[in-house]
Amino acid sequence: MEAIVAEDVHFSYDGLQPVLNGVSLVVRTGEVLALMGENGAGKTTLVKHFVGLLKPRRGRVLVFGVDTREATVAQLARRVGMVFQNPDHQLFAETVEEEVLFTLRNMGVPPHEARAICDAVLREFDLARYRDRSPYSLSVGERKRLALASVLSYDPDVLVLDEPTAGQDYFNKSKIARLVNGLKRRGKGVVVVTHDVEFAAQVADRVALMAGGRVVREGPAAEVLIDAQAIAAARLTLPQIPAAAAILRERGVKLSRIPLLPGGLYAEVIALLDGGAP
Amino acid sequence: MSSVLDVFRFRRKNTPLHRLDPRAKFAILVLFSAASLILNDLASLLLVLAAEVALLAVARSAGEWLRSLKGLSMLVAMILALNYLTLPSNRLFTALTLALRFICLTTAFSVFFLTTAADELATALEASGLPREYSIMFTMSLRFVPSLARDLQTISDALRCRGLELEKGGLRTRIRNYTYLLVPLIVYELRRSLMIAEALEARGFGALKRVEPYVELRLGRADYAAIATSCTLLALTVALRFTSLYEAFVRLQLSIFGEL
Repeated sequence: MEAIVAEDVHFSYDGLQPVLNGVSLVVRTGEVLALMGENGAGKTTLVKHFVGLLKPRRGRVLVFGVDTREATVAQLARRVGMVFQNPDHQLFAETVEEEVLFTLRNMGVPPHEARAICDAVLREFDLARYRDRSPYSLSVGERKRLALASVLSYDPDVLVLDEPTAGQDYFNKSKIARLVNGLKRRGKGVVVVTHDVEFAAQVADRVALMAGGRVVREGPAAEVLIDAQAIAAARLTLPQIPAAAAILRERGVKLSRIPLLPGGLYAEVIALLDGGAP
Repeated sequence: MSSVLDVFRFRRKNTPLHRLDPRAKFAILVLFSAASLILNDLASLLLVLAAEVALLAVARSAGEWLRSLKGLSMLVAMILALNYLTLPSNRLFTALTLALRFICLTTAFSVFFLTTAADELATALEASGLPREYSIMFTMSLRFVPSLARDLQTISDALRCRGLELEKGGLRTRIRNYTYLLVPLIVYELRRSLMIAEALEARGFGALKRVEPYVELRLGRADYAAIATSCTLLALTVALRFTSLYEAFVRLQLSIFGEL
């Protein structure tokens, strides 16, 4: 189902220098879309349009059929949850528990339900033992999880995660990847803004590459993330598996296709060892 | 928010005013702010403003100033309204004068800050004998004003995304909402200042009691001319302000306004 539709969106902060130059993009539920590109490509500016924090100067953005210009951010946030890059910009309550309850209260969840939801979310994010502590006393990784938890608590249909893996260690990164996959299985739409090609390879169904305020390439992750030219044009580097496959091909190893994930490469190599084409 | 703070944000341009030594520009700042404070009538303040705008035009920065004025308009309107409603006599004249004085003062500072880079300012402060700890403190606080504005914007974005209606509600709700904004802002800025302090020390700040400046400030002909002109004009303004001629000038303006 089409959740967010951006149609020919133009935007500039100062009215002079364009940041978005006619972006058209669809976000669907039950799917993970990775938005990638170098710094300044317009990724964060674009996702801010998805909750109405910014309104297009030209073109329009529809969130479940509602034009973002006709709704407040708080109204749109009911359907689209946005988690910012820096958790310190989002946390302010006295305790971890209140941090989650704050969002639930804003979203009109009745008190007895809110308690139960808060307990469940804090357990899910491994934060239950900190419930009475100040959010500022948590570690960076924990603060990031709390920021995520406070938005996920009210169960929006679409989640926008801005650089969810920035500053996270490998262990937490895989945890976030599992979380994103879990959200997708529950039918949520997930937009991930990221530079991290390996993370995108792990979680994304679809990838949109941005450069100079435009979407320069969009398609299934398994096609876009192995396209060396498009990846280079967006100033990213190939993920390791397609890069390894490319090296093998250069050395004359006949692969039937360029795989994106380790399993794919493994299958190719096994087929070769078994003799002949897979 | 950010547009208001834009009045004081330096932009590198090559104009006679930008090239002036920061100490010369400081003299101009002193002239304009002193004139704005001691002159007590509409016509003279208009003259001050005209001179300031002329300088801004020379510095090709009138556009930035005008835009920021829009952001300040609420404050100006408040000064105007509160004074008009509470003053016992000469209400319109005095209210207009006070509002204009506010504009003249902010413009004086924006002439200075729009054309003076923070590092130039630091060099000038150190050249006039201020210890480096203080000059760094001063320039850093300027440097972080736009960052502060940006952080505030991000925090309010994040709160709105979590369903807080910042635009709506009565006075009490609004005040409470602002505490939601201030707590993360203060914590975040404190954290950042600690980090910057550590980074400064890690880069050797404070290791030597005295450091040689790399840039030597030299006053040129234009700088001396600007300083001399500013001092002369300031002396003239002060002298004229306390003559009976000035009193008569004010009375003339008051008579035009009559009972308003």
